[in-house]
Amino acid sequence: MKKKLTILFSTMLLLLLSACGQTASNEAKSSKEQKAENKETRIASLSIHLTNDLLALGIKPIGSVVGGELKDFLPHVKDQLKDTKQLGPAKDPDMEALLELSPSVIYLDKEFGGQDVSKYEKIASTEVFNLDEGTWRDHLRSIGKLVNREQQAEKFIADYEKQTKEVRNLINNKLGEDSKVMAIRVTAKELRVFSTKRPMGPILFEDLGLKPANGIEDLESNQPYEVISQEVLPDFDAGAIFVVVNSDDDAQTAFKQLQESPIWKGLKAVKGNHVYVIPDQPWLDYSALGNKLAMDDAKEIFSK
Amino acid sequence: MKSQANTNNKRTYTVALVLILISISIVLISLNTGSLQIAPLKVIQTLFGYGDYKSSLVLFEYRMPRILITMLGGIGLGISGAILQGLSRNPLADPGILGLHSGASFGLILFVTYFHSLDHHAAILIPLFTFLGGLLTAFIIILLAYDRIKGLLPIRLILTGIAVSAGFSAVTLFLSLRLDEETYTFASRWLVGNVWGRDWIHVMALFPWILILAPFAWSQSKSLNVLSLGDEVAAGLGISVQGQRLLLLATAVGLSCASVAMVGGIGFIGLVSPHLARRLVGPMYQNNLPVSGLIGMVILVLADTVGRSIFQPNAIPAGVIVAAIGAPYFLYLLIKSK
Repeated sequence: MKKKLTILFSTMLLLLLSACGQTASNEAKSSKEQKAENKETRIASLSIHLTNDLLALGIKPIGSVVGGELKDFLPHVKDQLKDTKQLGPAKDPDMEALLELSPSVIYLDKEFGGQDVSKYEKIASTEVFNLDEGTWRDHLRSIGKLVNREQQAEKFIADYEKQTKEVRNLINNKLGEDSKVMAIRVTAKELRVFSTKRPMGPILFEDLGLKPANGIEDLESNQPYEVISQEVLPDFDAGAIFVVVNSDDDAQTAFKQLQESPIWKGLKAVKGNHVYVIPDQPWLDYSALGNKLAMDDAKEIFSK
Repeated sequence: MKSQANTNNKRTYTVALVLILISISIVLISLNTGSLQIAPLKVIQTLFGYGDYKSSLVLFEYRMPRILITMLGGIGLGISGAILQGLSRNPLADPGILGLHSGASFGLILFVTYFHSLDHHAAILIPLFTFLGGLLTAFIIILLAYDRIKGLLPIRLILTGIAVSAGFSAVTLFLSLRLDEETYTFASRWLVGNVWGRDWIHVMALFPWILILAPFAWSQSKSLNVLSLGDEVAAGLGISVQGQRLLLLATAVGLSCASVAMVGGIGFIGLVSPHLARRLVGPMYQNNLPVSGLIGMVILVLADTVGRSIFQPNAIPAGVIVAAIGAPYFLYLLIKSK
């Protein structure tokens, strides 16, 4: 009996010690952060895409959620977010960390935080964005209005349109005017084809004005992608295929296997050498900055 | 005989008091754990209503509900395990082995696979689905284990439980293979026992179950004592064996399903707590039932606090910690008692 209690108490003591040790390190961290504070509006962004819209306007949020699978900021903006506090994944944000930042305004993605607005209102005034409504241009403009940077927003959009025109010409030169395209994603488990919805739909079929391959427009438009089996790939009859391969080894292997399959080798796009492997980021980051960087990438691919 | 019972009672009070003191200190530590640091003194200040806006928001809105849920869940699992071990006269019985966990997991997977469009009400629908999943399994198990002449036989109860649980696990695994990564991560974290109910609404949903069923189970501890002597003896002592067994089984099912729905599929607590309780206060249920509940509570709150604090920022599910702390200790006890 005594022995058991001793063990129980020593476990507790261990816990107490560890809790204390942790306190010290956290305090050190937070004091460093306070030094880095900027004097402008203190915006906390609870969407990685809104964060990147803000960056497009030259505003660094004081706190932002991170990519769910990456558990970190997206690679193409990580450098810019050195002083930004990580607030956990969008699906389960760290409310205490958010409160600690005492932001003056919180930007919320309706998809993730829509039902918890009252929770956020208790911390600071909250702006809710529905990213499924309109394009990133609309989101950028409404953010521009909120932060008084409407001109920057317009300039960013104008620059983007100009660049898009260039890239569109480059692509047309390479693929021909009437070529139809599709975008797929290879994960360890499955093969997905992107629909006309964000993230891939708007940039390919609207901005670049490419023609969707057969059947793409018939996909359920509520989902960003649909899972397909390899056998139906030829049915899309695409002249060019954009491929996103997940970075994990299993997905890479899956793509290699796919490339060796006779179905793949028989595809029109493969025969015509029009398969373009693109990185998941920035291409799948449907934000102002994400699309701009994707356009840079496209320019590089097609000017070769 | 009488003095033996008296010392046992006294011992129960001491043990219960010690456990309550331990849990109070763990709760205080737990209230201190989180991304936002609040000085311990301020925590106490805030608890009595003298804190500033920020600390009261953190304590009352973020931390308190979660701690209360782990406490209630721990009690529910501990007591339910004690009842099941008594009923089945098998020291290995626990809600997990009886298949209630796999039923709950099945409910969860069903929800994330087919009802994903209802995601916006997930806060209340997930507990509902897992609860119903658990109930469904319990119902199937009782139906299959029920013998028309002999009634509910303990050994059949466990064997059927294992079989049904295997079946449900297979379906769960099959469905979970088709989930995308993010949902799969959420589901698998839930399956190993991640306390995810964090709002007052979850506390409110769980509280009545524990408030009603736990004292009720305690009030039935005499019949549990008698039932654990075996059916013939129990019948000879004037107990309606089948009636009591069904009633107590329903109590255990209610307790564990409600708890699992809020704290995730945490196994082991239901198995270990009654064992520890028996070693501390003896086999009489009026003593070891409440102690089982208290031990369950201490283990779960401790595990959740450790999981949240030491491994920040990537919190470890409480179920993993329970197994990591509990298993070696349990083995040690077993080896020592040989």
